[in-house]
Amino acid sequence: MTTAPTKPARSLTRAPDSGQAPARRKLRNSKQLLAIWLFLVPAAVLGLYFKFIPMVEGIRLSFFKVQPFLGDVFVGLDNYVSVLTDSRFMEALGHTVVLGVTQTLGALVVGFALALLLEGQARSLWILRTTIFLPVVTALAVVGEIWRILYFPTADGPLNSILGWLGLGPMQFLNGTDTALWSIAVVGIWSGAPYNMVIILAGLTGVDRSLYESAGVDGASIWQRLRYITLPALRPSLIIVLTLAAIRSLRSFTEVYVLTGGGPAGSTEVWMTRMYSLGFQRNDIGVASAAAVLLLVVTLLLTVGTQLLGKRKAAR
Amino acid sequence: MDSKLKSRSRAALALSIASAALLTGCGSGSSAPAAKDDGQPIEVWARAGTDAATSYSALFKEFTAKTGVQVNFQGVPDLDQQLQTRAASKKLPDIVINDSAALGNYTSQGYLQKIDKSSVAGNDAIPDSLWKETQGLDGSTYGVPFSRQTMVTLIRKDWREKLGLPVPKTQEDLAKLAAAFATQDPDGNGQADTYGMTVPGSTERGYFGWWASSYLWQDGGAYLKDDGNGKYSASASGAQAGVTWIKQQFCTPGNTQPGALTAATSAATPFFQTGKTGIILTGPYNFSSFDASLGKDKYEVIETPKGSKDNTVLAEGENIYVTATNGKKDQTKQVIDFLVSPDGQKAGMTAGKQPIVRVPVNSGVDAAAVYNDPRWTVVQDALKNSSKSFPSAINFVPIKQAAAEALNKIASDCAADNIASGLKDLDTAINNELTSQNAKS
Repeated sequence: MTTAPTKPARSLTRAPDSGQAPARRKLRNSKQLLAIWLFLVPAAVLGLYFKFIPMVEGIRLSFFKVQPFLGDVFVGLDNYVSVLTDSRFMEALGHTVVLGVTQTLGALVVGFALALLLEGQARSLWILRTTIFLPVVTALAVVGEIWRILYFPTADGPLNSILGWLGLGPMQFLNGTDTALWSIAVVGIWSGAPYNMVIILAGLTGVDRSLYESAGVDGASIWQRLRYITLPALRPSLIIVLTLAAIRSLRSFTEVYVLTGGGPAGSTEVWMTRMYSLGFQRNDIGVASAAAVLLLVVTLLLTVGTQLLGKRKAAR
Repeated sequence: MDSKLKSRSRAALALSIASAALLTGCGSGSSAPAAKDDGQPIEVWARAGTDAATSYSALFKEFTAKTGVQVNFQGVPDLDQQLQTRAASKKLPDIVINDSAALGNYTSQGYLQKIDKSSVAGNDAIPDSLWKETQGLDGSTYGVPFSRQTMVTLIRKDWREKLGLPVPKTQEDLAKLAAAFATQDPDGNGQADTYGMTVPGSTERGYFGWWASSYLWQDGGAYLKDDGNGKYSASASGAQAGVTWIKQQFCTPGNTQPGALTAATSAATPFFQTGKTGIILTGPYNFSSFDASLGKDKYEVIETPKGSKDNTVLAEGENIYVTATNGKKDQTKQVIDFLVSPDGQKAGMTAGKQPIVRVPVNSGVDAAAVYNDPRWTVVQDALKNSSKSFPSAINFVPIKQAAAEALNKIASDCAADNIASGLKDLDTAINNELTSQNAKS
């Protein structure tokens, strides 16, 4: 790759004053640097205040018994021990993983299917894509309330009356201990799939059309074309989708909080709702921070892991 | 990049971090700060939504007109979170008006000053039983009672009369009435879309534990036992009768509203409000909204039906707390004296849209007379004769939460015989919590 076309100004000015004035160049350089930093400062300060200071503070608090008024007491790793030995947290971890895997895979499959169906330039497709994308831009709290109505657990509830036409009995949905988690997963898939669709659509435009044609000439079936052309070409997009979805699912909070509040019988309690109730309902900020730090570490490992996996596969 | 450039950018980065840190001024001392008078008007915070906040403002306007003392009042819906923020900056508002149940939490955080009961003008007009609820684990007084109330049972009168059923006198009657509301189409629309009771059965904020406590007491049970000297022990195992009755309501289709196990009050109450359920156990603060949505003539406030023991209901209320950083002694005394005086209590009941004093703590004021509403007689009588409150010296929130979680688990599995085992688990959870609060006997 050559740098010449992107930096014409520099290569033009360099030639004439090469012997004459390194001092002036230095001055210009430092001026340029100052300008760069001045432009960066607002964003940097905002990031510092709203991202990095709170993050560092959160890590600090995780080692303390937090009493804002009396002064915090250092407790070492006690908070981490109480998170890791708390059976409720372990149950929540199980639910989080189940919910995360279901939502991630579900949203991936549905998003992929949607992308294949809706790829194209026609105006009607454009409108359809926009419509399908709507759940992503709707506030999750609103989505939750709407689904709460749809899931109304009596025979005259909207979803149950549809099931009734098919001769299926009224389901408990959010109110049953063995259906609640899956009902939440469906909401997650419904609101997450369109986002994946957009990323995969972008990936699809990069697939070389002629490959399909030659495969068609060679007599490949639709499934074979999908398996040997589309999927390999989509690997980068799929990795992005997977990483984003995995992180999002680990952090899922709003939908659970709005739909069930962790109930019934704790069957939908996830890592974030447990953290929230410890931190803000029981005022146990130290333990909640420890849980948050653990979540950060897991997320970090997951992200790096997926990236490495993707790179290795791509290199092969 | 050459090395000079690199080092320069590093310097710039360090500089911007340093300047940011300077702006933050992060300082964290380790001991509680002392009380100080900053010469500003006395700052009063209360947990209040928009309506209640208007009432408080009107109340303090009256106070200022009377005494000339300026008050800086803030109605804060998420009071406890905001207090934490202020605690971190070591400057709490001077006076906080909040739930009597907050006392245990506040004292453990060091937020409060002790109060000399005898220094409150008219302290003998406040019943001793209420003063007792303001004692911390060490036996000192940490708050002044301001308002009290009990839960009340509301019934759809028109439905009950249409079905020709009597006013329920016992828990059995109540269950029967609930079943009748669910099965006999009391609203006459030809559809099976009505239910018995409105229940906030969610574990969120411990709602289930809060709602269930009255029924447990009525059957002789309780979450915990007061062993005296600020020590408690769990006693949920003895509450099987009450829990059995509660489980029956959840496991008889229609006796509770659909989705009750995941409904907080915000999701549950509309069922009564929109005519989908006919029974609700709630606080008298809902009278005004039910009057507006249902109509005053459509529902009745009944004397709470009896369990196997009595008809105890949960009593709650608000206290006035003086914070540790309050250095305005005179103004504080004036505010407190006014708020608990007959005038102040009356003003709290009538100023603004929503009463902030529900049942007055001052025995010289009669709620039913001030409101001119016999429904308040029910509340006042219940408060006097058959009410109980959660212990306020300890932090009860985690215990309520544990109770909600245990009950939610018990009620969600109708096929299982899980009452005894579930309550035993609850005992363990409560005892652990008490131990961690240093209040286990």
